Amino acid sequence: MKIAHLADLHLGFRQYHRQTPAGINQREADTALAFRQAVDGVLAARPDAVIVAGDLFHSVRPTNAAIVFAFQQFQRIRADLPDAPIVLIAGNHDTPRSTETGSILRLFDELGVDVATHEARRFSYPQLELSVLAVPHEALAQAERPVLRPDGSARYEVLVAHGEVDGVFPSDRSTVEYGGALVRADEFGPGEWSYVAFGHYHVQTELGPRAWYCGSLEYVSTNPWGELRDEAEKGVAGKSWLLVNLDTGIAEPRPIIPARRVLDLPRLDGSDMSAEELQAAISDRVAAVPGGIADQVVRLVVTGVPRHVGRQLDHAVLRGWKAEALHFQLDLRRPEPTRITGVGAPGRRQTLPDIVQDYLSRRQLPAGIDRAAFVNEGVELVASAERELAED
Amino acid sequence: MGVGAIVRVDAPGRVVFGVVMDAAAYDETRLYTAAVLRQDPEEPLQPVPLGEVRMATDDDVRMALRMDGYTGGNRGTGIPVGTYGSAGLAAPVYLDADFLLGPEAAHLNITGVSGLATKTSAVEFLLASIFQTFPAHKGSVAALCFNVKGPDLCFLDQPAELSTEDLASYARLGLSPTPFDNVRYYAPCKPDGVNLNTLRTHPDLAANTEPLTWGLREVLEYAEVVLNRDDLDAKADAFIDFLADRVVGRDFQAPELHPQEWRVLTFADLEAFFRAIFDSLENSNRGDIWRTHHIATIRKVRNRLGNITTRAKGLVTDDGASNDLPWGAFADRSVYVVDVASVDPLAQDLVFARVVSKLREHLERRDLGVDHVVVFVDELNKYAPADGPDTYVRKMLLDLSERGRYLGLVLFSAQQFRSQVLRRVVGNAGTTIYGRMDPDELATAGYATLSPATKIKLATLPKGELMVRHPHFTQPVFLRFPRPCVLSGREGVERFPPAPDLPFDEAVARQLRSMDPGIATDRVRAIVDGRREDDVRRALARTRQLRPDDVLAYFTAALGRRVEPELVTRRTGVIPLRGTADPYSS
Ligand SMILES: Nc1ncnc2c1ncn2[C@@H]1O[C@H](COP(=O)(O)OP(=O)(O)OP(=O)(O)O)[C@@H](O)[C@H]1O
Ligand SMILES: [Mg+2]
Repeated sequence: MKIAHLADLHLGFRQYHRQTPAGINQREADTALAFRQAVDGVLAARPDAVIVAGDLFHSVRPTNAAIVFAFQQFQRIRADLPDAPIVLIAGNHDTPRSTETGSILRLFDELGVDVATHEARRFSYPQLELSVLAVPHEALAQAERPVLRPDGSARYEVLVAHGEVDGVFPSDRSTVEYGGALVRADEFGPGEWSYVAFGHYHVQTELGPRAWYCGSLEYVSTNPWGELRDEAEKGVAGKSWLLVNLDTGIAEPRPIIPARRVLDLPRLDGSDMSAEELQAAISDRVAAVPGGIADQVVRLVVTGVPRHVGRQLDHAVLRGWKAEALHFQLDLRRPEPTRITGVGAPGRRQTLPDIVQDYLSRRQLPAGIDRAAFVNEGVELVASAERELAED
Repeated sequence: MGVGAIVRVDAPGRVVFGVVMDAAAYDETRLYTAAVLRQDPEEPLQPVPLGEVRMATDDDVRMALRMDGYTGGNRGTGIPVGTYGSAGLAAPVYLDADFLLGPEAAHLNITGVSGLATKTSAVEFLLASIFQTFPAHKGSVAALCFNVKGPDLCFLDQPAELSTEDLASYARLGLSPTPFDNVRYYAPCKPDGVNLNTLRTHPDLAANTEPLTWGLREVLEYAEVVLNRDDLDAKADAFIDFLADRVVGRDFQAPELHPQEWRVLTFADLEAFFRAIFDSLENSNRGDIWRTHHIATIRKVRNRLGNITTRAKGLVTDDGASNDLPWGAFADRSVYVVDVASVDPLAQDLVFARVVSKLREHLERRDLGVDHVVVFVDELNKYAPADGPDTYVRKMLLDLSERGRYLGLVLFSAQQFRSQVLRRVVGNAGTTIYGRMDPDELATAGYATLSPATKIKLATLPKGELMVRHPHFTQPVFLRFPRPCVLSGREGVERFPPAPDLPFDEAVARQLRSMDPGIATDRVRAIVDGRREDDVRRALARTRQLRPDDVLAYFTAALGRRVEPELVTRRTGVIPLRGTADPYSS
């Protein structure tokens, strides 16, 4: 018994300014491509069931292109794997704030996809001896949650949910998607399920035996750099979906070949460098990228660069890199102000987005405002401002 | 005058006290043989002089039994045990607390046939006497009673009606005829996890009766208990130790199984852990060994532990929410009754082992809440048998009898046949009491020192009469004790008939009501209707653990929404969108 576990496709996700010849945001096209590739892989692997653990779309009202594309891809699965149940739940990104808005995901019901948009549903497939408890974001955001336990009705019992499992995220939470409902591990009793398929966190993470975040298929968060760092810490190489054998409990990553690489070049320490020296060091870093930076998403962080040194860099060269790469971000950081000893907490200084995120998550809000959406919006604003600054 | 009579012989410069051991009749003549209880002065030791023999008075009894050494004065340690009576006399007899509850000697054992020896009654009476007279300067004392027989100890807080003679006897002993006023009852649940497994289920008695439930951690600490009964090998032992020391309740690193740290807190977690080991062994080519433990051993341990959850279901829960005795907060003159009368022997052993070990640990650290605890174990022959396997519980009782007195941990035990109990356990009892005895039992070697007449008296002893050995008494003494002022088990179940087992939902309602009396059964019934029982139990346990202000609302939320299964038949999709190109194709 095998199932395909996918999540966080974020179709319709847009980032940076590059467009395809057809006039579509390039990263949006990349995101679609990754999904198409995953579907190719799923069709080749022929699992007995396909599970999409939330955030199919990046937003509640995706673009027409994203909708049509998703529809086509699900149709491919439906047609090629006619006996395989397809279970789709809504994540925090594709759950409308008000129920009246109606969910775009309902559309997929017409394709023979079993969809849970607001309430949890327990799909039972006797012919496969399979039961799937599908718990969308909204079901976890309510005060009275569904019971996240198997009901003992089938040989294979799978939980699919979208949310933030308590205690598994890095202590520096900069990469954690905002707006996920918090779930305690003892709430879903990991040992009791044949498999637990979670969505929400974009870095593939094992939650426990037979319980995984499969991660996203592309770098579709506001902070891809943090995602890269988390991946490095966890020893995760790139993006993949999971092909899970429910009999053995083995979850096998099925890698996605990305349309382009997201590269965070090794940091440079620019302290005590003249503008010429710094220019040379940066050029070395860029030249050292295997295959070059053309069409890649690249960031280079340089620390200890006083404002006047930054201004003297060769901006023509920089513009050249920006044009060459899909996105080139030279992140020049001012020298750390000398800290008065004994004051303030030691350790890493927060970045501006961190500070904003932190502040917005704590700020008093008027009633009726969804904090998650509010924080997301604020963080996205800062991020785009930073991008624009970097791109100028 | 008869066997057991205390007599006094006066001679110039000397008084000798004795107790009649044997009597023979020659026509009109009676020949009594008495054993010396005490000579005054004691030194130099001389043969008993010839003199007039008189029956002892109150004062003589005090002297004869050396009670003058520990009664009276403001630091007396006398504990009334009954009255010595002969020829209209009813002289109070005291035990010495220093020799009953330590530190000089300790423990008490009582033997005698069923129903006539009044063993259970005598212990109840003596506990009441201890609570009323244990001297303040000796500190605090509590009792922990294991109820192992039906309703025996289920009504210690309910008064009994006593006869005028019994009331007079209480007065004579300076005791007040009242039941225990601070008693708490603990009983495991039945396998349904909500009804209590005890005969004390009458609604009027619910206030101080609560469930005894333990989780994985509590059980694993005493896993030896379970292993001992079975033929587990050293390898399994080592693996259990590994689980208890390194895994359960710890942050355990096993990257080969799972990148994060393991948090095994419940049996379900443990099961997941076992599954991960098996999965990992199956999926890798590492053979059959996981961290030096063979897969067969791991499977064996898993089965044994699984066995506990089955056999001790109702005691062992898996929601991490245990309800235990008030360790650290034991109160002076309180009785804690743990009712294990109708649970599986395996669960009984587990309860014994854990409760006694916890008492011991806390007394060692001096943080139990009281200075002395009397542990009462009836049917000692079952738990510390002379023959049979050397179980954990038996070892523990032996240890208690050998070392308990230094800690203030005192064993009161009872059985019908002393000869069937491990000798070293009863042998350590400083005070030994006999009620009506079985003649065959009296014929065994242990009673060889008793005179034939004493044996005859023991075999015909009326209810309420006992023979007492105590370190201060040179010879065993016969005395009477009044009925205990608490309802016997039989009377109790008549007056407070056990409530029939409630249906699951009502039992849940009852438990919720113990936290909030205003909760109506109907509302609870509506909430739990059709829900899985383990989900309900888990929610109940969480509620009991958190004791929220709004009990019902919390319980409802903790229970969570039910998700009904929907049968999905094969689904076909709509026909492909014709003529629609892939919007992202390049
Ligand atoms: N002091 C007393 N005087 C007279 N009768 C008594 C006295 N104490 C108890 N009894 C009666 O003796 C009977 C047996 O008492 P008890 O249950 O204590 O015996 P037991 O030795 O514990 O019996 P078992 O071995 O069956 O448990 C009861 O009916 C009780 O009422
Ligand atoms: Mg008895």
